[in-house]
Amino acid sequence: MTDEFNTVSEDELHAYVDGHLSQPERNRIEAWLEKHPARAEEVRQWQAQATALKSHFASYARSDERDRSLLATGRARARTGATSRRHILGRLAAGILIFAAGALTGLYAPATIAPDRPLEIAQGPDTLPRQAQSAFLIYASEVRHPVEVGADERAHLATWLGKRLDYQLRIPDLSALGFSLVGGRLVPVNGKAGAMLMYEDGTGQRLTVLLGRNTDNRETSFRIASQGGVETFYWIDGTIGYAVTGEVPRDLLQRVADECYRQFEGSSAS
Amino acid sequence: MSHGRDGQEGSTGTEPSVPDPFEENVLALMPALRRYSRSLTRSDPDGEDLLQDCVEKVLARRAQWRGVNLRAWAFTIMTNLYRNRHRHWVQHPEVELDDELGLASEADDADPLEKLRLERALDRLSAENRSVLMLVVIEGYRYQDVADMMAIPIGTVMSRLSRARRQLAEAMKDDNVIALRRPK
Repeated sequence: MTDEFNTVSEDELHAYVDGHLSQPERNRIEAWLEKHPARAEEVRQWQAQATALKSHFASYARSDERDRSLLATGRARARTGATSRRHILGRLAAGILIFAAGALTGLYAPATIAPDRPLEIAQGPDTLPRQAQSAFLIYASEVRHPVEVGADERAHLATWLGKRLDYQLRIPDLSALGFSLVGGRLVPVNGKAGAMLMYEDGTGQRLTVLLGRNTDNRETSFRIASQGGVETFYWIDGTIGYAVTGEVPRDLLQRVADECYRQFEGSSAS
Repeated sequence: MSHGRDGQEGSTGTEPSVPDPFEENVLALMPALRRYSRSLTRSDPDGEDLLQDCVEKVLARRAQWRGVNLRAWAFTIMTNLYRNRHRHWVQHPEVELDDELGLASEADDADPLEKLRLERALDRLSAENRSVLMLVVIEGYRYQDVADMMAIPIGTVMSRLSRARRQLAEAMKDDNVIALRRPK
C-alpha cells in the first residue's frame, strides 16, 4: 500500500530524464528512485546517453559558408523539379532507370515469395501484397525519379496505364486525406503489366497504390499484410488486384484504402 | 533576377538581389537542420546529402507551408526523407571509417574511440526509433510535438523512445571494450 500507491510510470521516468517535469514532480521521482536502485541505474544510463548525444552532435549546429550555396542549389533543383523535369533527356534517363528497377523487381519478387515452389505460389493471392511492398520499398525511396509520368500529366497517365492494364483506370483523388498524386509508373505484377501510383503528403510521406491483373477471376475482402513497419491493404475484385502500401498508421492507411476502393468502384461501373 | 555577381564573396551568383524572407528563415534554421540531419545519418557526407535534399524539398513545397512553425515543418520533412532513404541505406550499410569520424568530431575534445563507439551503437537503431530519440534528446521537442510531427500516437512515441534508449544502452554495453564507467 505504501510503495504501490506511490508508483512511478515508465513515461514519467522518460519525462524526468528529458527535463519535462516540475520541481515537485522531480522530487517525487527522485524519492522513488532511491528505493528502486535498478531503475535508478537505468535512469542514470539514459541521462549519460543524453549528455553524450548532445555533446556528440553539438558541433554540427553551426552556420556554414556553404549554407547560401546549398540554398541556391536547393532553389534551382526545386524549380527544375517542379516544372521542367519532363524534358526529353530527362525522360530518357528515367526510362533507363525504370528498366533497371523493373528488372530488379522482377528478380526480387519471386525470390522472396517461395524459392522452392515457384509455380503455384507465384500466382497465389499473397503475392500481391509482397509485390506491392517491394515496389513501395524501391520506388518510395527514390528521390529523383520516383515515377515515370508525373502528376502534371494525370490524364495521360490514366490513359497510358489503363491501356497497358486493359482496364479503365480512374486515378483516385486522395486530397481529402492530405495526399496528392506524385505520378505513376508501369511495373510488373504477377508477370504482367501492372500500374503503380504514388502519392505524397505535404511533408513528403509517401504511399503507393498498385494494380495488377488477377488471373483467377475472384473476389476477396480487405486484407492487411505487414512487414517491417510497411503496411499493405489489399483486395481482389474480379480480374484486378489492388494494394495500398505505406509506412503510415494503419487507420490512416485503411481510410486511404477505403477511399481508393470507393473511387475504383466508380471506374469499373462507368 | 539575372543580376550578375557584383562582388559578393563566395557567392554562387544565383542568389536574387533582394533577400527572400522565407529563404532567410530557412537559412537561419540551417544549423539546427544540419545537426538533426547528422544525428540521423551515419556520416558527414550522408548528413550533408540529407540536408541538401531537405532544403530542396522545403523550397519546392513552400506553398504548402501553413505559416506556423517553420522549424517543426522542416524537421518533419527531413524525418520523412530520412525514412524514405533509410530503406535504401539498409541495402548499402558499408561506411568508410574515415567518413564516420567526420570533420566536426575533430573540433571537440571527446575521446575519438568513445565517439566511434557511440556512432556504432546508434547505427543499430531503426530509423523510427532513432528519429524519435534525436527529436526528444537533441532537438528538445516535447513528446506531443514529436507525435504530431511524425503523425503517430503519443503512445508510439513513448514506446519508440523506450526502445531506443534500451537498445542504445544494450549496444554500448555489448561493445564496451574500453570501460569508462565510474566505479561504484
